[in-house]
Amino acid sequence: MQYSPSDNMAGTAAIVPMVSFRGVVKRFGALTACDDVSFDVAAGEVVALLGENGAGKSTLMKTLYGIHPPDAGQVLVEGHPVAFTRPAEAMAAGIGMVFQTFSLLPALTVRDNLAMAWPGTPWFLGPQGRNARGALTRLAQLAPGIDPDARLGTLSTGEQQLVELTKVLNLSARLVILDEPTSVLTPAEAERLYGLIRDLAADGVAVVLITHKLADVEACADRVVVMRRGRIAGTGTASAMTRAAIVAMMMGDTGVRGGDPRGLPPRPDLPARPYPQLLLRDVTTGTAPADAKGITLTVNRGEILGIAGVTGNGQTALAEAVVGIRELTAGEVLLDGKTISRRRLEPRQPLAIGYVPENPRENGIVPGLSLAANLALRGIARPRQHTMHPEQVTQCLTDYDVRPPDPGRAAGTLSGGNVQKLVIARETGEQRDALLMVFPTMGLDITATASVYHRMVDAARAGAAVLWISEELDDLLELAHRIAVIRDGRISSGLPVTPQVTRAEIGALMTGGQP
Amino acid sequence: MTPTSSGRTLPFAAIALATAAVFLLAAATFFIAIGQAPLRAMIDLVLFATGDAFSRVESLLKAAPILLCAIAAAIPGRLGLISVGAEGQLHLGAIFGTALVLAMPQAPAIILLPATLLAAAVGGALWGGVPGWLRGRLSVNETITTLVMNYLGILMVNGLVFGPWRDPANLGWPATASFPDAARLPVLPGTGLHLGLFLGVLLALGCAFAFSRGIRAERVRVLAMNRKVGETYGLNFPRFAVILMATGGAAAGLAGICEAIAVQGRLQPGLSLGYGLTGFLVAWLCGHRFLLILPVSILVGGLLAAGDSLQLFHKIPASSATILQGLLFVTVLAVPGVLNRRAS
Repeated sequence: MQYSPSDNMAGTAAIVPMVSFRGVVKRFGALTACDDVSFDVAAGEVVALLGENGAGKSTLMKTLYGIHPPDAGQVLVEGHPVAFTRPAEAMAAGIGMVFQTFSLLPALTVRDNLAMAWPGTPWFLGPQGRNARGALTRLAQLAPGIDPDARLGTLSTGEQQLVELTKVLNLSARLVILDEPTSVLTPAEAERLYGLIRDLAADGVAVVLITHKLADVEACADRVVVMRRGRIAGTGTASAMTRAAIVAMMMGDTGVRGGDPRGLPPRPDLPARPYPQLLLRDVTTGTAPADAKGITLTVNRGEILGIAGVTGNGQTALAEAVVGIRELTAGEVLLDGKTISRRRLEPRQPLAIGYVPENPRENGIVPGLSLAANLALRGIARPRQHTMHPEQVTQCLTDYDVRPPDPGRAAGTLSGGNVQKLVIARETGEQRDALLMVFPTMGLDITATASVYHRMVDAARAGAAVLWISEELDDLLELAHRIAVIRDGRISSGLPVTPQVTRAEIGALMTGGQP
Repeated sequence: MTPTSSGRTLPFAAIALATAAVFLLAAATFFIAIGQAPLRAMIDLVLFATGDAFSRVESLLKAAPILLCAIAAAIPGRLGLISVGAEGQLHLGAIFGTALVLAMPQAPAIILLPATLLAAAVGGALWGGVPGWLRGRLSVNETITTLVMNYLGILMVNGLVFGPWRDPANLGWPATASFPDAARLPVLPGTGLHLGLFLGVLLALGCAFAFSRGIRAERVRVLAMNRKVGETYGLNFPRFAVILMATGGAAAGLAGICEAIAVQGRLQPGLSLGYGLTGFLVAWLCGHRFLLILPVSILVGGLLAAGDSLQLFHKIPASSATILQGLLFVTVLAVPGVLNRRAS
């Protein structure tokens, strides 16, 4: 009950909202990220702030949190205008924000991490603060399973998020902002977080949930605020809004075609006589938790094999082993009967398969080179470079909806979705025998996600063997022919997608048994 | 080199003017601090560097090894490697070249001279290639290995001239015998200006060309900006690291042998006046742009040369030139950064 306001305050809170945005405007150069945004968040209310990438959700919250002070308009906390210029000021006023990347120190224990940020820790005890028991009480309530003396780096992402959340709550936060909290969680962890959010709201804490997942809204939001291009596109009570209505608000007039509100293409039919195209035999890259260990998989022509799993369970090692940039300690990868993997990395050979790496901005493009040069990267190691005509490049960029389709522009200046489109244009522009996609829709909005899936399905229809590593269970169930689950670098199973396979079943495999 | 991040940047001319102004102010402060009339001293500085034929030659003589060492740092720099090893590579070049001269002192110039230069280049390439190989294959930090190998190179020269290569005729003075005339670099008649400078200019122009066009230049850019992507598509980073480090080393090796056979006429301690580090700073100051390295090397060479004259005529320590050089580097590195930060 620490957070519930006194009776007197509760009466006031019903009238005065916890936080009010009044005509908030935030510009970055020519871009208006937030354009005249107004809405309220009441104490004890969970507001889902929805929108595509770049709709201005995070920016709006950062105007409150003192990271990006607004250019115009007002932010009021409990009716009083505030103008924080640093997060510390916002924290002092009872506002806490949990970012997608945590501000925790992996080398320290959970206890030290919490004690360091606990206002009750006397300065002379510093980060040692072993007697700061108060810092741990809330952790015990939120996550009794976490050992306070465990080093933070050994915890799973979901557990780290809970520690971060504890840290924010320890600052007596009365408004908690969560930035895309479920994007790093397993289904079970997400479920627990939903429960936690409801508990916070019941204690009178106002919660703003920044998300682009509709599942988050259905699970725990009271109210929905949808942003599009920096403006409020609509608000409503969560229970009264349908999925289709929310998507329509997020997308605006350029909405999604077809019946599926997420715009997913239909799963392609398997070819009549399937035969293996891509063969992984006992692929092993080492013994560390994030190494691939003894992975054997077969992907047929025209088939999409999904690999589900929580990030950090060996997906990166598996992918890099398949494309030949990580040494195998055992096993091999065969494409059409020919070995493409390598025990030793020398000599190098041009990449045989289409490869859409995870985090394409870091692993898929050369930021300082032009779009045209990035499209030609597959031929960089060939004796003579095959260059496309500028018109061809522009055509290709237009076909794949890379915006702006300017061949001379530096690739690093593109937004995340366009970087991914550029990589996909390069990797699927010509027909490939096999295609490997690693978390291809991570951080993308609905439109970009749909376009990625269309390209993937088209490649499979044209006969490519598609290996698709993803965390998006719903999408895997929708589009993959079979799903295997990777955990601790091992493949737990390879289930065909049938109505019998459920999220819970796969989720259990992903996390190791406990649903 | 890389596209600037969001935010405004000031026009180049404004930055250059501001930087020059700050440097002059700092230099004036320095002269006042050591009891010199700042204006007089600075005018003399320019005169001593460029005033007459002799001082111009002196400036260019100092510029030659700086230019070659700057190239030695800039070539690996294009791959994103930070090599501070030009000093050691310079000494190894001198050792290899000298070894060849001492082995066949009777050979005619037409054979001896090219062979000596080649041997020096090989020596420098070896001292650059080893850190390149360690970096490429074993991910050993090239900055540390090149730094440490500098000491090895300098001490090896000392070991040789104090020991096996000491000419008994020198009466205890640690140096090799004087080189035969056949091993002397061709000199522009009437001046002391030797072939080394022309080698440096040629090399700088060649590099500017080679690193600006063609598939190889593109490969270096790809590997420098995103090694992983380059390797995904079949580029061999270790090979590039070895080749570029060795090529840079060869340039520094040439600087070493030119100092020995053209300026000093023998191998002796004190071969380099810190040319390696100066070259490294010049290269980084110029963002590894070879066409910019050319004039900046000559500017810094002039500063060093004028320092000698300042000592003679103004009775101020020769190290003043080093201090001025330091002030120059600090202002050029700091002022644009501060201005751009303010502007954005």
